[in-house]
Amino acid sequence: MSAAAHATRRVVSPAVRSFEEQFLEVQGRPIDSLSEFRDPAMQRFMALGLPSSHDESWRYTNLRSLSGIHFSAAQDHSRSDLQPFASVSLLDGAQRVATISVVNGYPWLHSVDSVINDIEVSSLKEIARVEPAKLARFFEAPSDADNRRWALLNTALFADGLYLKITKKVQTPLVILHVGIGSDTDTIAYPRVIIEAAPGASATIIEHHVAQGARAVAVNSNTHIALGRGAQLEHYRVFATGPDATHFDFLDVRQEHDSRCKQFTIALGGGMVRADMDVHLNQPGATLESQALLVGFENRHVDCVNTVTHAARDTTSRQTARAIASDTSRVIINSKVIVNAGAVHSESQQSCRGLLLSQAAEIDSRPQLEIHTDEVKCAHGATTGRLDPDMLFYLLSRGLDRNTAQSLLVFAFLADVLTGMSVASARAAIEDALINQMPDSQLLRNFR
Amino acid sequence: MRDIHLLEITDLSARVAGKDILRGVNLNVKAGEIHAIMGPNGSGKSTLAQVLAGREDYEVTGGTVTFDGQNLFALRAEERARAGLFLGFQYPVEIPGVNNVYLLKAALNAKRKAAGEPEVDAYEFLTLIRQKMKFMQMSESFLTRGVNEGFSGGEKKRNEVLQMLVLEPRLAILDETDSGLDIDALKIVSKGVNSLRDPKRAVVLVTHYQRLLDYVTPDHVHVLSAGRIVKSGDKSLAQELERRGYDWVAESRVA
Repeated sequence: MSAAAHATRRVVSPAVRSFEEQFLEVQGRPIDSLSEFRDPAMQRFMALGLPSSHDESWRYTNLRSLSGIHFSAAQDHSRSDLQPFASVSLLDGAQRVATISVVNGYPWLHSVDSVINDIEVSSLKEIARVEPAKLARFFEAPSDADNRRWALLNTALFADGLYLKITKKVQTPLVILHVGIGSDTDTIAYPRVIIEAAPGASATIIEHHVAQGARAVAVNSNTHIALGRGAQLEHYRVFATGPDATHFDFLDVRQEHDSRCKQFTIALGGGMVRADMDVHLNQPGATLESQALLVGFENRHVDCVNTVTHAARDTTSRQTARAIASDTSRVIINSKVIVNAGAVHSESQQSCRGLLLSQAAEIDSRPQLEIHTDEVKCAHGATTGRLDPDMLFYLLSRGLDRNTAQSLLVFAFLADVLTGMSVASARAAIEDALINQMPDSQLLRNFR
Repeated sequence: MRDIHLLEITDLSARVAGKDILRGVNLNVKAGEIHAIMGPNGSGKSTLAQVLAGREDYEVTGGTVTFDGQNLFALRAEERARAGLFLGFQYPVEIPGVNNVYLLKAALNAKRKAAGEPEVDAYEFLTLIRQKMKFMQMSESFLTRGVNEGFSGGEKKRNEVLQMLVLEPRLAILDETDSGLDIDALKIVSKGVNSLRDPKRAVVLVTHYQRLLDYVTPDHVHVLSAGRIVKSGDKSLAQELERRGYDWVAESRVA
């Protein structure tokens, strides 16, 4: 497709033009075995353009200002002498945690901890060279690719990434520390992570996104999780970047027989975070437990879109989302469960609760159900409100400061999600990050 | 020195959701006394309790209240609590995720801080709370649970009294703390209230029934009806009410 042909159809925005330029650079590199996936992904993205408010799942997130930005690909710093990033890690100082840093999407495998046994760790670049067949299933565009344009763009433009294969029961939690290092121009990074768990294997993996540098790197990240028969994974994605950061994340989960995925999505920062999750419970007995904790403050914007497909009988999904919004922030929870024909005896639960802390804040919560079979148990509920005046008065009547009382209630509201975290150090760190945003943080600490 | 009232309510009127509920309440409570406020449903008993504790969505439309000589309405709810006013709720709210005991500790420390005292030592606090829990016959599990979370009606009321015993208020207003209790729980709650009887403190019991007063002997009994105290007397008034019903008061008022 030529550039001229495009121009007759639509005006190409500076952002899209810059993605096209980045693609030319990718094509200019030595042939990689993934070009059979990159080319159609880029073509499809170019045909569709950036999502707009006409797209159902982008109704609440406006990309107009982003479309005017000319991005260049974020740099590879892996050969520089930058220090490892433990100091910015969520689990700084925590014992018994292994860390792999991924900087602007490039894995720093020279920094890999020796603690990581029983997890095969390689760079995607390396696998693409020696064993490309292994990757095919993660790069083929799915039928609904039109709804995941940022993921298409990631496929077209990612430079490297991380491949993890869990082969045993791994006790030590693994942190993937995604560091975005900005420069003085607008840059964008395309981190890509593939996590495969062999039958019966289990692990805990925490993807933690942080940012450094003058101007924040825009991030378009993509993670695939494939769980074999009976495999168990506890996966976290934690967004904790600065107010000027833009983040698009797509998490793709495919589950086989009797596998269990416990997923936590934690948005604590970032100017604009769009977090998609697409889960397919492909074989009987697969279970998903998804918990989201979405915190909006200042003028932050958090948009969370979950789609869970029950594609086989006897599959289970439980989704819990808790959103709080203060100041002029906005939080969106779109959660959809699809039960395919034949997926009998499936069970799904969706619970979305929002807590508004200011007049100007907004929470949009939309749980949806699409059922194509009988004999299923599906429940969903969504509520959004303000702090319960009875609870507040109760605490005040016991002499607590108003700020303390409010913070306690906010915390209590999030407790469902926090208590579900089995990595104590991660939970403590996330609580800490939350507390730091609240008044009376010292007093709140006493409550833990 | 003049024997001043700990609580002095003069011509108090208040409105809830646009509706006048209290229409000129007068009541004086001295330190060392126990008062019972009785009355039919809808007479304004709970409104009076909530207004005194500082509930903001209850609008005070007239009158004055002094607590220990100071204007009560100049204090916010949390300041009233720290000054020694305690409300035992009729329906204590469940607050999952906020630990029961930590709340109590924060409440005690807020009060101590306001009095210029140091924070309570952790060990000392735990000893105190265990002792009070034993007194109220509460199980150890109360220590780890959320505020009133999953408590039965009786457990919630006992928890209110436990809080009262730990905070040692100068004035405790107990709003139907007796309702929904079986006889054993009623005895325990009464024991808690009686243990607070002290020349420096006062208790106001808001109740619909006379049965609590079999265990806690009031010095004064008042009948609230249509937002006014229409009759006051000693404990025999409660017995008479029990015999003759609230209609009797309403009738005698008309007559």
